[in-house]
Amino acid sequence: MNHLDNAFLLVGFLEIALVMFMQWEVYITNIIKTFSISSYLIAILFLIVGFINKESYILVLAALTALTRGWLIPFYLKRILRKDKWRARETSPLVGISSSILISLLIAVVGYLLYSLTLSNYIKSNLGSIPITLMLQGMFLIISRSSTFTQLIGYLIMENAMYMFGYIFPELPFIVEAGIVLDLLGVVMISGAIIRLREDVIKNGSEEYTELKG
Amino acid sequence: MLFYLSILQLLYIALLAPLTIGIIRRLEEIVESKKGPSIFQEYYDLRKLFRKETVAPVAASPFFIAAPYITFSLYLLLTLVLPIITAFPLTFGPVVDFVGGGLIFGAAGTIKKIAAIDSRSNYAHLGTSRASTIGALSEPIILIIFIMFGVITNTNNPYVINNVLQTSTNWYLSLIHWFATFAFFMVLIVETGKLPIESHSLGELGMIDQAMEMEYSGKELAIYKWGGYMKHFLLMNVFMNVYAFPYYVPMQPNLQHILVYLIINYLKIILLAVLFVIIQETFSKYRLFKIFDFVAVALVLAFLAALVFYTTGGTV
Amino acid sequence: MEFIYLLPILFSGLGSLLCILPFLKFEEDISVIVSFGALFSSIYILFLPNLTTDFFYIDGLSKIFLVMTSAVYVAAVIFSIYYIEHIQNKLFQSHFYFFLLNTFVLTMLFTVILNNLGLVWVAVEATTVTSALLISTENDEATIEATWRYVIIVSAGLIISLIAVIFIYSSFKTLSFAELLKLYPGLPASMERITYFGGVLGIIGFGTKAGIFPMHTWLPDAHGKAPSPISALFSAVLLPVALFAIERILQAIPNDGVKVFAFTLGLLSIALAAFMSFNQVYYKRMFAYSSIDNMGIALIGLSLGGYAFVGSVLIIIAHAFAKSATFFLTGNVLINYESWKIDEVKGISKTLPATGYSLFFGSLAVTGTPPFGTFLGELLILVAIFNTYGVMITLLTGLFLAMAFIGINYQTLRMVFSEPNREKKRENYIVVIPIINLLLALAVTFASPLIYNILFNGAWK
Repeated sequence: MNHLDNAFLLVGFLEIALVMFMQWEVYITNIIKTFSISSYLIAILFLIVGFINKESYILVLAALTALTRGWLIPFYLKRILRKDKWRARETSPLVGISSSILISLLIAVVGYLLYSLTLSNYIKSNLGSIPITLMLQGMFLIISRSSTFTQLIGYLIMENAMYMFGYIFPELPFIVEAGIVLDLLGVVMISGAIIRLREDVIKNGSEEYTELKG
Repeated sequence: MLFYLSILQLLYIALLAPLTIGIIRRLEEIVESKKGPSIFQEYYDLRKLFRKETVAPVAASPFFIAAPYITFSLYLLLTLVLPIITAFPLTFGPVVDFVGGGLIFGAAGTIKKIAAIDSRSNYAHLGTSRASTIGALSEPIILIIFIMFGVITNTNNPYVINNVLQTSTNWYLSLIHWFATFAFFMVLIVETGKLPIESHSLGELGMIDQAMEMEYSGKELAIYKWGGYMKHFLLMNVFMNVYAFPYYVPMQPNLQHILVYLIINYLKIILLAVLFVIIQETFSKYRLFKIFDFVAVALVLAFLAALVFYTTGGTV
Repeated sequence: MEFIYLLPILFSGLGSLLCILPFLKFEEDISVIVSFGALFSSIYILFLPNLTTDFFYIDGLSKIFLVMTSAVYVAAVIFSIYYIEHIQNKLFQSHFYFFLLNTFVLTMLFTVILNNLGLVWVAVEATTVTSALLISTENDEATIEATWRYVIIVSAGLIISLIAVIFIYSSFKTLSFAELLKLYPGLPASMERITYFGGVLGIIGFGTKAGIFPMHTWLPDAHGKAPSPISALFSAVLLPVALFAIERILQAIPNDGVKVFAFTLGLLSIALAAFMSFNQVYYKRMFAYSSIDNMGIALIGLSLGGYAFVGSVLIIIAHAFAKSATFFLTGNVLINYESWKIDEVKGISKTLPATGYSLFFGSLAVTGTPPFGTFLGELLILVAIFNTYGVMITLLTGLFLAMAFIGINYQTLRMVFSEPNREKKRENYIVVIPIINLLLALAVTFASPLIYNILFNGAWK
């Protein structure tokens, strides 16, 4: 393995461990901070890739990642979290905390097996299992938590995983990449607006909606 | 030569273990802006306890009195087989490998639990059930960690693990090693009863290990406490010498080096003690059922080490 | 000359620009005018030849989608003017509503003409962004919860299809449809697997947006709680637009495994809709499950290709008109009965005769009853299933379709022809809109040779 692969491996597994940490954590500010850290890690990875391969395009991508995911989105999310933000926490997770940590671990193993059984022949490197695992874990974070913030963070983790895919596969054409970035920002903004509405309207989060059943 | 070194190691552990605990206690008090007891306080406690008379519950069997001596001797046996002041096996080194060492630890714990049940005290029972529940979860993690190091070094011998990590920077820096080390550190906190898991206050609610020796007094209590300090010190040594910082452990039987290393080793232990103090002073105790989340994270880290190994195909 | 192909988009873009200006008070008139402009320009495009440039790829299918989208757009705008007055606790003002509506249609119109799978993904994701707030127009708890589920599930699903885009790009080294359609036969065998995964993930991902089985859960929530014109647009246009992306993937990767996978998901969707439509309590949710049913059978048709593909297109068009009509009518029922529940709505044929009878026919149309275009499409698809998969699968599909037919029509009959529990009311003239749409759904049957012609020859000759 060359240095880049090593850096990828390091960042990738740290990302996975950070997702596990998010499963563990119940306070939403801490989850947001952890997400910020994981985004900065990806930015650092891009920075290294950009420097070693001498591609300014990737350096721009690193700066964008650090700026939007590392700083802007966490900042925005923390601003939405206005009422009593140190106490905002996951009150009613759908899956218990220790079982969700263990399921997340199981997902990591499944992700690895899935990848090595299906795609590893094509890509000639085992590293591809990391983004797949991260993506499945992000999905699981969405499923296992009832807090909108954690669900949105789960979605953002899936996006981060997408960016890590970019390392293994060739980069998409610039216009597509730009469109994707814009779209994702749009999704975050819209989600922020909806979360805010939801915080205003829904007084206790554990309400059952009979109108949304069946 | 090896035989005398063994005796040196035994004395080093047995005599300095209470001091280490004393230093940790003192540092904690200093961080809390208190004066705190002398670092030799544990010795004074032991001396006082040795002078007191033994009282055993009426219902208890003779095993109750024998248990402290058995566990103490098991810990003494462990001091002879682990790499503490040397990175080459001493006279008793070939007796057991890492898994065997784990089994001896487990045996000492089991004897302690049986004796606690034998005391017929409610608090001791409570402590036993808690310790067993947590132990049932944390011991498989230790096994996974041993397996991961076995995979790295192709052996279960702690001396070889130390040598491999000492000589190969690649392995030392590898993610496999660090995930396993971190998992071991979390298990270490569980095993030594540090703060997120257990607080050594007088309240019975959070007691785990402490509750098991509730009915002991006098000499037996002193032996139990001393054994506990030794277990603590041994685990800290294993963590530092084998996992986290395997450097400077002498690989040749050179008396001068070994004597110098004694000091270095103690500095390492104090480093770890400072880390413990920081953790102790920044975390608050978990509620009992949240301990399992903590153990689950340790398990995850140990497993991730395995996953890294397979992802990289076993190369570094 | 290319400029003409963009006219529908320019019209809706103009509409959204004018509606966002707060000092203009004519947002309703503007929206009606631009929607008609979009409709007429799309019909005009039908007569033009196909177009392939760097950015745009307009073939017969795109043209049909353009016309369908703008037709439903016109109906939805007109119906909105009536409906929005009756929304009690509006989240935003009416000019912002029309701005979002126009933008939403703009993104959908964009999706069907692009010549780049990546940009199609971007456009489909953009429809999520533009449509999310529209669902929560009626500002109450359940609605906002439904909106949130829509945003998070659909976005997560679309991330999966983004992987598909990356896989396809890494094997073909291009995302342009015009080239993708030619490249597959020359692909080396080692690439077959990754293109297969690209196809499969693309179907799952875009299938999320189309309400296809494993990730359909947002659909009943969103359709059930959105305002009626928005439910109509979602069901009639948004789901087919996502299917359009799936169709492009199926065209680009004509792999048997991918086709079987698409067929299986379609069948599972039909099965789900069949079983769920029996025990529905809320009528809008029930019709949402009918949408899943129709999208499932359309996906089956797309996976089979050939004349089943024509059948799918027929179903999509007829369903667009019929389902938009049905949702408009349920909106009218909701306004007059002020209840979402099937049990509390009785005797529509007596209280609101025109609404009641058209709802009955609308329900028949969306479940594939003979004179309507959906029936012809289902027939073509069933024949194709028979030829490909044999008699058992055909019977199973037919059984599921029949179950959905019985489940939905039985509930509708209970609502329409029972003893009324409300006074007789005056019918609003707006009912003309759904009736026209129902007639169009009927007309699809007779226009099928024309549609065939447009699909395969590109233009209306």
